[in-house]
Parts: sequence; C-alpha cells; structure tokens
Amino acid sequence: MTLTRTPATPSGKTAGGIAVPRVLRLSAVLVLMLASIPLGYLVIRASGGGFDAAAAVLLREKTINMVFTTVALAILVALFSSLLGISSAWLIQRTNLPVSKLFLVLGTLTLAVPSYVSTYAWIALIPNFAGFWAAVFILTLTTSPYVLLASLAALRRIDATQEESARALGLNSVAVAKRVIWPQARPTVSASVLLAMLYVLSDFGAVSLLRVDTFTRVVHTMYKAAYDRSAAAVVAIILVLLAAILIYTEQRARGKAVAAKSGLGSIRLAPKVDLGWKKYLAASYLLAIATASIGVPIYVLVTRFISVSADINFSDLITAAISTLSAAFTGALMAMAFAIPLGILAARFRSKLSSWAEIGILLTHALPGVVIGLALVALGSNLGFLYQTLPLLAFSYAVLFLAKAVGSIRNSFARVPKVYDDISRSLGYTSWQTIRKVTIPIAAPGVITGFLLVLLTAMKELPATLMLRPTGFDTLATEIWTKTAISQYGQAAPYALLLVLVAAIPTYLLSRPDRAQPE
Amino acid sequence: MTALKIDGLTVTYANRPVLNELSLHVPSGAFATVLGPSGCGKTTLLRAIAGFISPFSGTIRFGDQLVSVSSIVVPPERRKVGYVAQEGALFPHLTVAQNIAFGITDNKVKSDLVAELLDLIGMSKFANRMPNELSGGQQTRVALARALAPEPKVMLLDEPFSALDAALRDDLRAEVSELLKNRKTTTLMVTHDREEALVVADLVALMRSGQFVQTGTPTEVYLDPVSPEVAISTGDVLLLSSTKDEAGKIDSVLTPTKLGTEFVSGKLVIRPEEIRIKPAGSGVAASVIDLDYYGHDAVVHLDAAGERINVRISGDLKVQVGDRVGLEHVGPIRWFPN
Amino acid sequence: MNLRKYFGLATVVALILSLTACAADSDQATGEGDSLSGTELTVYSGRSEEFIGPFFADFEAATGIELNVRYGDSAELAAQLLEEGDNSPADIFISQDAGSLGAVAEAGMLATLESEVLSLVPAEYAAASGNWVGITGRARVFAYDPIKVTELPTSIDDLLDPKWDGKIGFAPTNASFQGFVTALRQLRGDVAAEAWLTGLAANNPVPYEKNTMIVEAINAGQIEIGLTNHYYVYTVADGLGTEINVKDGFFAAGDPGNLINVSGAGVLNTAANSAGAVELIKFLLSDESQNRFVTDTYEYSVLPNIPAPQDLPSFLEIGSPIVDLDALKDVRKTQEMLIRAGLL
Repeated sequence: MTLTRTPATPSGKTAGGIAVPRVLRLSAVLVLMLASIPLGYLVIRASGGGFDAAAAVLLREKTINMVFTTVALAILVALFSSLLGISSAWLIQRTNLPVSKLFLVLGTLTLAVPSYVSTYAWIALIPNFAGFWAAVFILTLTTSPYVLLASLAALRRIDATQEESARALGLNSVAVAKRVIWPQARPTVSASVLLAMLYVLSDFGAVSLLRVDTFTRVVHTMYKAAYDRSAAAVVAIILVLLAAILIYTEQRARGKAVAAKSGLGSIRLAPKVDLGWKKYLAASYLLAIATASIGVPIYVLVTRFISVSADINFSDLITAAISTLSAAFTGALMAMAFAIPLGILAARFRSKLSSWAEIGILLTHALPGVVIGLALVALGSNLGFLYQTLPLLAFSYAVLFLAKAVGSIRNSFARVPKVYDDISRSLGYTSWQTIRKVTIPIAAPGVITGFLLVLLTAMKELPATLMLRPTGFDTLATEIWTKTAISQYGQAAPYALLLVLVAAIPTYLLSRPDRAQPE
Repeated sequence: MTALKIDGLTVTYANRPVLNELSLHVPSGAFATVLGPSGCGKTTLLRAIAGFISPFSGTIRFGDQLVSVSSIVVPPERRKVGYVAQEGALFPHLTVAQNIAFGITDNKVKSDLVAELLDLIGMSKFANRMPNELSGGQQTRVALARALAPEPKVMLLDEPFSALDAALRDDLRAEVSELLKNRKTTTLMVTHDREEALVVADLVALMRSGQFVQTGTPTEVYLDPVSPEVAISTGDVLLLSSTKDEAGKIDSVLTPTKLGTEFVSGKLVIRPEEIRIKPAGSGVAASVIDLDYYGHDAVVHLDAAGERINVRISGDLKVQVGDRVGLEHVGPIRWFPN
Repeated sequence: MNLRKYFGLATVVALILSLTACAADSDQATGEGDSLSGTELTVYSGRSEEFIGPFFADFEAATGIELNVRYGDSAELAAQLLEEGDNSPADIFISQDAGSLGAVAEAGMLATLESEVLSLVPAEYAAASGNWVGITGRARVFAYDPIKVTELPTSIDDLLDPKWDGKIGFAPTNASFQGFVTALRQLRGDVAAEAWLTGLAANNPVPYEKNTMIVEAINAGQIEIGLTNHYYVYTVADGLGTEINVKDGFFAAGDPGNLINVSGAGVLNTAANSAGAVELIKFLLSDESQNRFVTDTYEYSVLPNIPAPQDLPSFLEIGSPIVDLDALKDVRKTQEMLIRAGLL
C-alpha cells in the first residue's frame, strides 16, 4: 500500500496532492541559474581561447603529478577525516567517555579555525612543516568536524530496538555496526565525506603555504602571474570535471537513503558502552586531536598576541569583527533563501531539475574562491550600484557555501513524515502553506544547522571577500591577509584570535545535541 | 449534511489498477467501515477521497458536490475532509491546542472552538502539552479533535486505533463513534480488524484486491455473506463439505439428510455460535477433543464422524475433554457450490 | 525551537550589524556631504595598507579629495580590473610590479599620462607607451645567511654551481621572480634564459609561496640563499621585531640578477576623476613622499635626486641591466618556460 504514497506516475499528472508548488519549482530554477554562474563564467572564459596556454600547463609531466597529488590528497584526507570523525562520534555518543560534552564542543570548535590560520600556527611551531603529508595532516584536522557532526546526527537517529533485535538474531557488536548501524548512517556520513573532499579540491590557504601542488594552487598561480584568464579557466574546468567524478562516485556509493524509523514514535537511544579503564585512553585520543587542531593555533596566536599587545588598534578590531558578522549573517540568510526551496524539492519532489541543481551546487563548491570571485566580478561589475556592496558580497557567500546548507536541509526535510502533509492539506492548507506551516517548522533543527554552517564558513572566507567587499570594508579575514602579506604575524594575531573567538559562537551552537540531530 | 458517493472509482499505480471500479454510497451522517486485509487498497481509497492522489477514472461526490472526476480534481485543502491517520500523526512542533486550532480559519471562534473540542475529548487540562508528552490514546483523541475542528463534510479514519492496546482500543472506539454519530458526521473508517469493522458501523464494505466484494449493514455481511471468503473475513466460520441435490436438500455431518440421485458438492458455512451442544444421544454424536477458554466465552473443539467442528459456548463450562455430546445446528443454512 | 523567531532574530542581527558597519565606515571616511565629482577617488592598491595608507591619509588632508581604497594582491587586482572592463569603478591602479600594470595597459584600459607627469621620472622607470609611471624602485637581490655563506656569488650563473644544491630559495609563483625571468629573456634571449632555468632546476631550489617566507627560511637555517627583492629582509625583521641573520647581497654590476623593477601607477581610461588620479600620482612622486618611501619601506626612489635607503648601494653602484619594464608583462612565455624547466 505504501506504493501509492508516491506520485502515481513520476512525470504524470500534477493534479491533487502531488502538485509541485510553483514557488518551489521557480526557485529551484533560479538557484540552478545562480549556482551555474561560476561554471558558465568558466565556459565563457575558456572558450575565449587559452587552450594553447592551458595545453602548455597541462601537457607536461608535472600535470600527472598534480592530478595524482590532488586526488591522493582528497582520498587520504577523506579516509583520515572519516576515521577521526566517525571514531570521535562513536566515543562521544556511544561510550561512557568522561566529559564527552566538552569533547564534542572541542571537536566542532576546530571549524572556527580557518585552515590558513592553523597552517601558519604549525609552521610557526615547526619551521620545516611543509609538503604533502603536512597538507594531509592540516586538511584532515580541518574537515573531520564535518564528518563528526554528520556521524553524530546519524548515530542519534538509530533506535536501540533495531540493535537489540539484531543482537537477538545472533549478531555480535561488530556485525551490528556493520549490518545495522553503518547502512543507516552511510548516506549522511558519505555526504559529509564528499564535502570534505570537495573542500580539499578548493582549498588554497593550506596547500599554498605548505607548497603542495594541487589544481587549485595552479589555478591561483595562473591567475596571479599570467593574467591569462582563459588558460586558468581551462585548468579550472578540469578541476570541475575531477569534482564531477567524485560527486558521481559518491552518489553511486551512497546508496538509497533509508527512512529513519518506521513509526512516528520517538527514538530510544542505545545505552552507552562501558569502556572501563580504556575510557582514559579514548579521552587522551580526543584530547590529542583537539590539541593539534585548536590547541596549537590558539597557543601560537596567544603568544604572538602577547608579544604585540602594546599596539593593538581596538577600534579597527571591533569594526572588522562587525563587518565580518554582518556580511556572514546576510550571506547565511541568503543561502537559506536558496537552500530551503531546493532542499524541499530534493526531499519531496525529486526530479531531474532538483538533481541538476544539487549537482551544480556541489560542483560550484569545488571551485577555488578566486574563480567564484572573478565570476561575480564579471557579472557584478555590470550591475552598477550593486557592485562591491554588502548584498553582492553576501550573495557570493551564498553561492560559495550553498552546498553546505542544502545537504543538511534536504536530509531534515526528507525525515519529516509525509503524513503531516496529508493532514495539513485535509485541514485546508495548500501545498505551499503546508510547507511553510508544517514541513519547515518540523525540519527546523536541520535548517538551523545549515544556517550555522554557512555563517561559520563565510566568516573565514578570503578570496571572494577581497574582490567583492565594499571598498574600505575590512573583515577579520581580510585584515589577517593584509597583515600576513607583509609578514606582520604579530599584528595579525589579534585579528585571527578574534576570528576564532567569533566563529566559536556558531560552532558551539552546532555542537549542541539538539542541533546535531535534525529530527 | 453530506453523503459520500463513489462511483466506478479506479486508481492505478505504474499502469496497474490498485482500485478497480469501486462504488460506494455512504448516507449523510452514517458511519461506514471498509474492511480488508493489508495491501487490498483501502488506504488508497481514503487517500483518493481526501484528494491526496488523483484517480484514473470514476467520480467522488460529497453530497451534490463533485470533488473528483477524471479531469477535475479538487485539491485536498478545498474538500473539507477530516483525516485521522494511524498513530494520530500530531504535528510534533505544536502544542495540543495549536494542533487542534491548526485547521480553524476563523480567528474569532478559534479559542472557543478549541476549548469546546478539548472538553469534548476530555483533555482540557492538556491544552499546552506537546504531542510527545501524550499517551497513544490521548494522541488519537487530539488527532480526532483536530480533524473535527474545521467541521469537515466527510471524516476519514485510517486505522486510527490499530496502535493502541486492546482495552483502550474498545473504549476509545466506542467513544469516537458515539461522538461522530452525535455530530452526524459522515464517516469512513478503514480497518483490517473484523470486529472493529462491525461493531461501530452502519454500513460495512468488504474489500479484496481493490474491489468491494460485499456491501451492507454489519448484520447483512455477517449473517448473509456472498461467499465463504466474505464469511471468513467477517468472523470465525466452520466450513463443512457438503452436497446438495436438485430438490435443494443439503447433506453434511451436522445436517445428515437423504439426498436424491442428482447432487453437487459444495460447502456449508456455519458460524461457531450457531451450534448447540446437547447431552449425548440427541443430535449428531461428537466427542470433545480440546477446549480454548477465553473467560467470557470458550471454543469447544469436537470430532463428529471424523470432521473437526468448533463450537462457541458461553464461559460457564459444562463440558470437558473426552465428553461425548450431541450437536444441533440452529442457524440459517448458507450453502455455496465448490 | 521556533524557526521564525530564530531567523527573525538573525535578520535583525544582520541588519543592525550592517548598519553599524556602514556607520563605522562613514565615520572613517572624512569629507562626506558634497557629492562633487572631483572630491572622490577610487583607488585599487596592490601595495598594502600598512605601507601606503599613511600617504593616502596625507593626500586626503592636503587636497580634500576623499579616497576609497581597495587593497588587494597586485595580480589579483589586475585580473579583477580585466574582468570589470569598462564597468570598473576604479580611477587609479597602483601596483607592486610593472607586470600587472602592463597587463591592464595591454587590455587598453589605461589612459596615456600627460608628459608633465611622465617627465617627472627617468624614462626607464615609466612605460614607453606612457600608460603608467613608476612610483618606487626595488632591486632584485640575493638574500643570504652571512654565517654560512662566506663566498658571495657574483652572477646568477654562480648559483648553478652544484654546491648550492637544495640551498636556494625562490618564489616561482610570485610576480617579482617571474618579472626577473622575463627580464632575463630580454637580456639573454629565450634559449639562454631557458638554459639558465634548467640549470637552476638541476640544483633543486626550494619553492616558497611568498618572498617573506624565503627570508624567514634563511633566518631559520633551512636554506642559505634566496632570490628576492631587497626590502623583504627589512619587512621580515620589522614583522618579527628582532634582528635577523639575513643580509641582502648584490651580484656584479650589469648582471641580470640585479634587475631594478618598479611599483607604479596608471590611470583608468574610464576614470570618473582622472584629474584627482593624476593629483595622487604627482603627490606620490613628490620629493617628500619619495623620501618617505626610502626611509619607511626601504625602497628606492624613482627620482634621481633622492638618495638610496640607508646601508644600501645606489642604483648607479648596483649597475642594473637595462630592460624595458613595460615588456615585463609578457609573463605567459615566461611561465611556459618555468613549466618546461619544472620550476612552476
């Protein structure tokens, strides 16, 4: 009978309860268009020649190395951040780990530290810190919180009854993890691992400081020194293709998302595993991760901060913090306006359109910030009064980080039982009103998670901010850039410290249990 | 008040009919039930009436209003149907009072109406509770109040009591049907529980594989089934192999009769309560081989000339295993050819 | 959890913050009110605020022209200008290197400067096309560890000696290094230039993202010598606030390694206030400003009458090779060469 709960024919009638609200369809088209601005820009730039120059860049031995380095970096970071993220999540959620709440906060707090700041800190600590494995190390620390949050959310959705039934059927705890927990957690966790890999593809800060030749570093180099935008665009398109392969593979491997639970009743969580004395071992493990990811950056920043505390311009510091917050807040709100309709469409009215929009957003996410920045410069400079204003800057954040929001929003909408739609419709609400009054409020925790993720990431953004900010508008990230560009690390320290401090607020909210569990 | 009229309703999924040419007329204010096994299409029927899915053909009328023909399908929000889902499906983000108020559009009457409905379901003290703080029965009550609030023309109940425990289910069912009948709300409830289908209904429709096999009052469908299968679906039956001659005389182990030369074989359908146990010597000889004791009544398993016969008797047991007794058939004769 | 409350709050916060940010912004801007076209000037500056901000403040005070300055990386600002095309809000582009200016000029986006401005500096420090003019001079040098390096190289060719294997630092992605290689191509021809690069590559030089990182690496003892601009030694020392174990060294006179490059400025064709832009260039080329560049940022003046920074040889003493700075924009071939040599 459940067969009839889906539309009678996928493409068929739109009458009655299965109509896609026009607002949703229009906004999906709009979002798809917005997300494809950078891709369209690349195609236009690349078609303006540049194949010869790009061929010179690409048809050489080093390219194979570059492809290999980029792919190996992405895969290793995915692997290690999965290990770190999943193990931390399990220890925090399912064992009697001491001060587990503190470890959760520490584990997510890493998100507040931009990758360029932690890289600087590690270089300051170990002058020889550079190269491939250093990049694997830094990027693993940077991306593992995403996997941690996703794994936690997944673990919190699995009812203890299922595990108990499996145990009763003779499965041991390893088999339960493999055959009951993992299949249910996989879609959520694998989506977060994909985001981690796309992050690696697009990262510039860490790889450039650590001198690792990835595609993004090469794209930057070409933009920086060659003034040859066409060739750079050709290389960036190859980066997009690489991202497309990753996205395709992940969507294949992800498998079908499974319904969280069969009934409407609330979840009973499994009892915590008693680790015995090993809980101190587990705590040391998590403490070591926290030390590496936030301990070192904060230690280095504070010591540098102390060394220059005499001449800090507090008014500049506060102004930059306010600017950072206002741009990031506006950007996160805009991202929500784009992500909510798309999330609903993807969760409820899955179609070619919604799939393409999602893929477009993910591809955009893999692009270096400088590409997005230039694409919006090309577009924005035609918009006259809007160019180099706060709204356009915020818009660039929304385009850059939409992928972060759409995932959690789609998942939380997918978990709202459809029977609520039916009830609401029978009580006189149209399908659009139903989405507003019922679906969105029930999915609220996931929506807020998406909002916080975009807010957090936008605060740390640099390349697009440099190009699109209003003239004279300094954010904490641009101030850090300004100071470090001329080696004034001591002067940069207070800005970096304040950025970590400000970003810690949304990060803390993200780590709260009701947040990480979009139910 | 509004009658519900369904004519020739066909719903397809992936080009296969899920509902096939269904017709059903529920008079205004009547309480109708649709009884059928899971997978027969009864929830699909409710969803088509509510407008959640579009039928392939056929018509649905609420009184004189055509809400669904093949080309015109009135969206669910304009049909004025009440819908109570399994387990209630209260909105988890709203309080009890907000849930009930959800469908009320007139702000002036909202608070009075909510108070009135809370009172009606006996839950005035729970107005500000969240759904997860309620018991299963309370959730169902609130779901009913929520569905009643906009004064629907037709109330649809989708196995609303199936998740509740037995004692609570009987009470709540009686309470709900009384409430709906008092308000003269035309109601259609689907269920797979045969007792539930009969006890509250004015009209019962028996559904099999997307079709109605029999429609009638509870006594009609129980006492006068159109087939042995229908008889089985509405209650316990004894199916006795039997023969019938051209004069209409019927022979079976309970009705030993001399037949003519021409006869056909078939089945005799007898309800377990239509057989009386007599002292040995009267009626058909049988021996008690087992007893199922339920308290209020009991089922006696007997062997009569090699045929196994179950008889329902009242709880004060007068027989025990091994007794030799006589059996007498007291009910109507229902005979179906093989 | 009430979503509407949450986002309502978020919107209010965003609004308040934006207003505060704008207010803070207009507090900083001095001469508000009158919107006469001559009173505002939009500057794209590849020179960092730390080093040129004080000049801008003095210019505002002296002229009453309000500057809207957009700081960024010179090459990225050039790329941004090229994307903006005719819609660019910029009036003037100040760049750290001649290459970025050349690229914008090549796209036909820079106006020809009046001879009154061009004649302020010697011809070799301005574009032959007249599209831009040099503001400060910077010498290519080798920075070295004075304890470890006792025998100084006299020519860039000395660096090809196997004794430097793994000990040389350079910044291959940086415009300053690519400008030097472009000049080398001009001076020796493409074949010889590529041979030198191949030789350098054979010595396994260590690539750095920034020039300052080369100096820091020498100071940390990781490498012994590095190809960079002369002032980075001072920048790093200032940043660390301590003495560092790194010194600038010059090759023999006339060696390509002694290239003098310039930072410079050009006025956009589409400038709304080109008169103001020319005023700013004149201000930066004044004796007072030029002296300040020398003392504050250890750069060379492009004016013949201003002495070299303290402890540094004059341009004459350095004996830099003669190159067409405007042609340094031809970095595409340079990059291809660097790629072939395996350095980029």
